[in-house]
Amino acid sequence: MQQDKLKIGIYELTGCAGDALLILDCEDELVNIFKAANIQSFLMAKSDNIDGELDVALVEGSVSTEKELGELLEIRKRSKFVVAIGICATLGGVQANFLDPREWKENYQKVYGQVEMTNTKALQPKPIDAYVKVDYYLPGCPIGKEQFLSTFARLLAGNPPELYNFPVCVECKWHENDCLLNKDILCLGPLTAAGCGSVCTDHNLPCVGCWGPTGEANRTSEFNLLLEKGFALDLIKNKMANFSGTKIAEFFAQLKGEKR
Amino acid sequence: MKKISIEHLARLEGNGGVTATIDGKVVTEVKFVVNEGPRLVERLTLGKTPEEDVNIVPRICAICTLSHKYAALRAMEKALDVKVPPKVTLLRELMHLGEMVESHSLHLYFLALPDYVGFPNAVAMASKFGFEVKIALEMKHFGNHIMKTMSGRFIHGENPVIGGFGKFPSREELILIKNRAIQFMPFALKTAKLFAELDYPDCPEAETQYACCKPSGNKFGFVGDEIIISNGDVIDSQDYKSLTNEFIVSHSYCKRSLYKEKPYSVGALARVNNLGERLTGETGKMYKKYFSPRWKKNPLFNNAAQALELLYSFERIPGVVDEALKLPDASIVPYIKKDGKGAGAVEAPRGTLFHYYEISKGRVASADIVTPTAQNAEDIERYCYLTAQKLLETGQEDKIRDRMDLVVRSFDPCISCSVHMAQVKKAPEEDWKEKLADLKKKQMPIFVGLGISNRSDDSACLELASKLRQQGVPDVLMESEIEENDTLHEKSPERSLIFLDAIDFGGNPGRIALIPLQHLIWDSVLSHRLLPLVSSQLDYAQLKNSFVLGIQPETIQEGGEISRPVREAMEKILEEIKI
Repeated sequence: MQQDKLKIGIYELTGCAGDALLILDCEDELVNIFKAANIQSFLMAKSDNIDGELDVALVEGSVSTEKELGELLEIRKRSKFVVAIGICATLGGVQANFLDPREWKENYQKVYGQVEMTNTKALQPKPIDAYVKVDYYLPGCPIGKEQFLSTFARLLAGNPPELYNFPVCVECKWHENDCLLNKDILCLGPLTAAGCGSVCTDHNLPCVGCWGPTGEANRTSEFNLLLEKGFALDLIKNKMANFSGTKIAEFFAQLKGEKR
Repeated sequence: MKKISIEHLARLEGNGGVTATIDGKVVTEVKFVVNEGPRLVERLTLGKTPEEDVNIVPRICAICTLSHKYAALRAMEKALDVKVPPKVTLLRELMHLGEMVESHSLHLYFLALPDYVGFPNAVAMASKFGFEVKIALEMKHFGNHIMKTMSGRFIHGENPVIGGFGKFPSREELILIKNRAIQFMPFALKTAKLFAELDYPDCPEAETQYACCKPSGNKFGFVGDEIIISNGDVIDSQDYKSLTNEFIVSHSYCKRSLYKEKPYSVGALARVNNLGERLTGETGKMYKKYFSPRWKKNPLFNNAAQALELLYSFERIPGVVDEALKLPDASIVPYIKKDGKGAGAVEAPRGTLFHYYEISKGRVASADIVTPTAQNAEDIERYCYLTAQKLLETGQEDKIRDRMDLVVRSFDPCISCSVHMAQVKKAPEEDWKEKLADLKKKQMPIFVGLGISNRSDDSACLELASKLRQQGVPDVLMESEIEENDTLHEKSPERSLIFLDAIDFGGNPGRIALIPLQHLIWDSVLSHRLLPLVSSQLDYAQLKNSFVLGIQPETIQEGGEISRPVREAMEKILEEIKI
């Protein structure tokens, strides 16, 4: 029996460990998760971890030290599929906010000075696909429970994950919230991938963009809409950059006909 | 060469470890290492708006997310001069109590208890403690439920904002929380008793300083505008830097703190030690019944203190809900983003957490965050050293690894703020050479020869020092030349200070070891005439850069010659130090 189940490993690189913790917080479903798959490695949850061949590796966190880079390369080698979970692994997360390597280095030295670290060398934090091929992405800061469980179930059945290809606005409409943009509050809902269940707007608060940019086709016009509303370009860009790490530059490059 | 190591200690988050290196009868090195990569959070909030900052900083840690949120809000509201209505303060307290319940129940039952009742993990423990494991899980779930109700999500909820909440919980939601808290009381009482009555080993025991927030109005609690330290000092939280004094060590990305140049502890034990007399109700009764002077010097009692706080939290929740229900909901307090600065202190489950911001032109101009694990790191290392040394001396070397693990875990470290991996290793035969070379690389150390002339091997290091002088090594001193008020490190504290001495550390005659001086000072067994000589003259930073290059003597008889193995050791040392 055990041999037929998919071999799964859950790994944590640099981050807040919120994605692994969220998996642990799926208390009612956790027993089934452990039963349905052969969880080979999950450091936060169990001690008898094995580093062998895997069907699926779920990796959270950004690559931020040389040691982590080595671990990631080794995980990739022994896994059929690699899934990036959480915004740090998919886009770099808050710690990947310095886009320019020189800017990162300067800031690093302002914190740690010239002290030479003896444990492992720090790297500018980057999403995992900066170094290895990633098969699937599960965004969020942290990932959402529903989206994780549905993705996990699909992976077990041998299917690719199916994520929403529309912005938070759609979920927000489902919940019949008043649009905050109508109240002149800058909300990133139109530009941010859905999946969180529009949790911030459900609390009358603007979307902070923690799921990263939506892949939806209309995003250029959504972006222009925010500019037309009178929000400054820098303000929108800075707010979007808070969670989306080094990937945000790509997003802006892909916007077509953006007004300046 | 024997190396004792432990598997990755699972069931915690993050990435770190503790290593003790032993040589004969002495522990030559203990390092608490955090391998988690640096994220530079304080730097990357610069230039953000205050609201964005409050979105970003809780991402430091998923377990303490709401403590970070709360500390950031308190700092920002101080800086922007925002006064929130009493209902907001009460509901923030409720959300914080939710985090305390979640974190403490997880730590107590799933991380700490298995060690004391002899099971490898909570799942295995369930075979004997099935009921406890089940209810503890429900208790944790209840903590999560409060956090979600108040913040919007299990983790990183955005509902608490500067000036209030985006949305207030409904009356029904609050009453449900109150009723469930009351239902948990019997189990919370049982938990307090269980953890107070555990058989905590008396190793390690040593005094330390404790610090925590001092809540207003003589109440117990988890926030305060002042910080109280166990020696009686009280510091305004705006002045938190006089407590924390952060500095960097090269073996870890986690910063360190010292108060009055000595390590201090924060966390549940610090709170109960400093404020326990303020506890009332059932928690007060439990405190009076179980508190003993041992709590003041043994970090393992942190678990008993956490269990008391868990009880306190359940006892406090219904009162918070009742008070909150009497008050109207309030819209978010409007504010202008004026220039200003402010610090916010809260008690995260694992200890005092500080956030500090300066706002200029509506943006964050300066940020400083001091986490509990950073403040505890020095004491974690120190207690691990004491544990390893004591067990080594009493012939219980095989227990060192597990006991150090217990010590580290009792601090409930959080290494996004900590899996730890305790490790004991034997010092390699000649590892002093490498360490000495490292010290020399920065700048030639100052050497001090210690010993008594005309007393066989005890005179060896005096002779060694004079030979170093002959070879032209600068700044070599003799014990007899040091005046009482000499400042040995006067010029640069980066320059290390090495005492040459014949010391009995259980090796074969002639064995050489380089031992950090602080280890010798902390421990009474190894203290000798060095102690009064140096402890009065070195501050802590200098102490951390001072070492003893020891030679194991064969004999220290009066009037004898220096033995052959010790002479050979002297030659080896001369070879390594020569310019």
